[in-house]
Amino acid sequence: MNQRANGRRGRVHVLVVEDEQTIVELLRIGLTYEGYHVAVARDGRTGLELADKGDFDLLILDLMLPDLDGLKVCRRLRMRGNDIPIIMLTARKEIADRVAGLDMGADDYITKPFSFEELVARVRAVLRRRGNTGEPTVLRAAGLILDLETHEVRRGDEPIDLTPTEFALLELFMRHPRRVYTRDTLLNRVWGLDYEGDANVVDVHVSNLRRKIGDRERRLIRTVYGLGYSFRPEGEEKGGDEQTVE
Amino acid sequence: MNRRWNDLPLRYKLTLLYVGLLAVLLCVLGVALYLDTAHFLVHTTAVRLRAQAKPVIEHWLPGWAAGEEGPSPPVPGPTPPAGAPGPPGPPVPAPPGDKAAIASSLDGIAAQLSRALTSRDTTALVLDADGKLLASGRQLPEEPLPAPPDSTYVSRALAGENEVTYTTNVDGVRSLVLLIPLRHAPGEGEVVGVVELTTPLALIDAVLWRQRLLIGLGIVLTLVLGTLGGLWITRSALTPLQRMISTCRRIAAGDLSQRVNLPARRDEVGQLASAFDNMVAQIERTFAAQKRFVAAAAHELRTPLTALRGSLEVLLRGAQDDPSAAARLVQGMYREVTRLVRLAEQLLDITRLDSPVIIHRQPVDVARFFTGFLDQARRLAGERTVTLTPGGDVTVSADPDALKQVLFNLVDNAVKHTSPDDRIEIGWEVGEDEVAIWVADDGAGIAPDDLPHVFEPFYRGDRSRSRRQGGAGLGLSLARAVVEAHGGTIEVESGLNVGTRVTLRLPRSS
Repeated sequence: MNQRANGRRGRVHVLVVEDEQTIVELLRIGLTYEGYHVAVARDGRTGLELADKGDFDLLILDLMLPDLDGLKVCRRLRMRGNDIPIIMLTARKEIADRVAGLDMGADDYITKPFSFEELVARVRAVLRRRGNTGEPTVLRAAGLILDLETHEVRRGDEPIDLTPTEFALLELFMRHPRRVYTRDTLLNRVWGLDYEGDANVVDVHVSNLRRKIGDRERRLIRTVYGLGYSFRPEGEEKGGDEQTVE
Repeated sequence: MNRRWNDLPLRYKLTLLYVGLLAVLLCVLGVALYLDTAHFLVHTTAVRLRAQAKPVIEHWLPGWAAGEEGPSPPVPGPTPPAGAPGPPGPPVPAPPGDKAAIASSLDGIAAQLSRALTSRDTTALVLDADGKLLASGRQLPEEPLPAPPDSTYVSRALAGENEVTYTTNVDGVRSLVLLIPLRHAPGEGEVVGVVELTTPLALIDAVLWRQRLLIGLGIVLTLVLGTLGGLWITRSALTPLQRMISTCRRIAAGDLSQRVNLPARRDEVGQLASAFDNMVAQIERTFAAQKRFVAAAAHELRTPLTALRGSLEVLLRGAQDDPSAAARLVQGMYREVTRLVRLAEQLLDITRLDSPVIIHRQPVDVARFFTGFLDQARRLAGERTVTLTPGGDVTVSADPDALKQVLFNLVDNAVKHTSPDDRIEIGWEVGEDEVAIWVADDGAGIAPDDLPHVFEPFYRGDRSRSRRQGGAGLGLSLARAVVEAHGGTIEVESGLNVGTRVTLRLPRSS
């Protein structure tokens, strides 16, 4: 199905069809940061062309476009037999519009103004549902195995008991090895944007996590002085943002 | 009680009120009619009896006459005939010998007289000057019983009163009693005796009873029919009100499309219903416009809010650690905030559309006004050519600041819909009683489908283009409000790829 791209590139390619400049920008930067490869089309026709010939794993499609609206783009793609997963961005709340979008063959929709976190969650859900291998259900690194569906963590055959916060921290580290996370970013992503507490809570949880995964001798989670923390599995020093694919 | 009356439906209230009024009037009428009939019947009986008695008395008392033959006209009431002494008392002096003769002669004829005056419906008694019974005419059982003489009335008759008439109960039968004074000669004041005629009123009472029954039944029947008819009439008159009430309820429940829709009628209720329908239609239009406006405003807010929220999230989720990404996001956020500020300003402007636009008029020399405006318009237009086509010298009474604002809006619109090598023309022309001011361009024009809507708040033609240029679609709405506050008009002519021309017509100063 959609394995055509991942097999080659390892990264999920997302096409964003949206005409609002600021929204395009934030989707491009945000999704890239989350580890996706992002291409953009500013109107429906270009979007249709790119989706037809490009190797994309997911289409994020605005409903209101200058020339060819999102519903039409969606319908034409499906009529041509293109079954690329589609998430609609819609400004309308009406159920009729949502149903129309889903009827046209969209996989999911999200209503403006949406939360980026929710969009990312839906992107992952749609990719997983469509069996996309770029969206793993199990993360592996340095002998650690993290199952996103059962929330189980093992080190080899030995299960590790983590709190939800520690699990979320480890998931974040393992999704993006070598990326340096500041305390603030970790706080925002794991504890949520609404959390109003001291950044020291991050240190406490990271230290607990280190202890539980037996980090004392291996130093998987490193402290980058003056910046924050970074996950560096052995033997992947030069690996970049590669994810291990199940 | 008062509360219960007020709670009564109007149709019952109205019916009760006029049926009540009808009942009072009918009763008064019935009673008057009845009393009049009763009086008339008794009176005619009395007159008839007196008329019948007169020749008989004259026959039996030749040279005498019944009291009616007195020289004075028969005045009803206790007025005694002229010549007769008023109060009872010593009779008028007469020759004592005569008096005795007369008395004895009365004694002699009393029996015959009373008999002659008695018939099957009348019985006569003859009394002497002292009120003593001389003779009774009743001999047969079918003749009515005479009323026992009543000394009060008898003494009045003896005193000379001619018309003493009264009714009394004789053996259970209401009877009419007439007293006729007997005088020794016509015109003589002295009364020598009295004839008492008694006639039963059974027949008259039967007639009167029937009359009472008829009037009573008539009133009851009229009231019953009046109530039913009245209810029917008020109900049919008030049915439209009932309809209006249920329409009101449905409208209050939120369905503004409801109408009373009475069949055309010109009466008050019809006028009320059509006025009501017009009012609801107006409210519905206003409401729909406001709803559109609010929906449009909410929609306009949605895009910048989405961009701001998403950008902030992306920044906080880690993009802030990448300076170049952060800079781009922050720039985008600044752009969106600017857009929100502009939108907020326009929303404030548009709320002013609902309240009357306040303008401060002063004489404006159009030629001088445009000299100043042209420079600013050129600055606004950038590379585009702006030309001025002046008209004649003229002064308008206008608010120069408001006018400048409107023209800026129009030039700004023209700039947005033209490419840098297009031309924008402004100018004015002096008409008979108005001045036409226009802003024209040879840019993209407005699609015919959009043209009727350009004055609607938040309406924008080609969405993608105008959105990138950042207008919220309020410029022309505001322009129209200002021009109309000046007592002028504004119109737009446009053709796709031909250009657009907006013309304001302002009245000339008198």
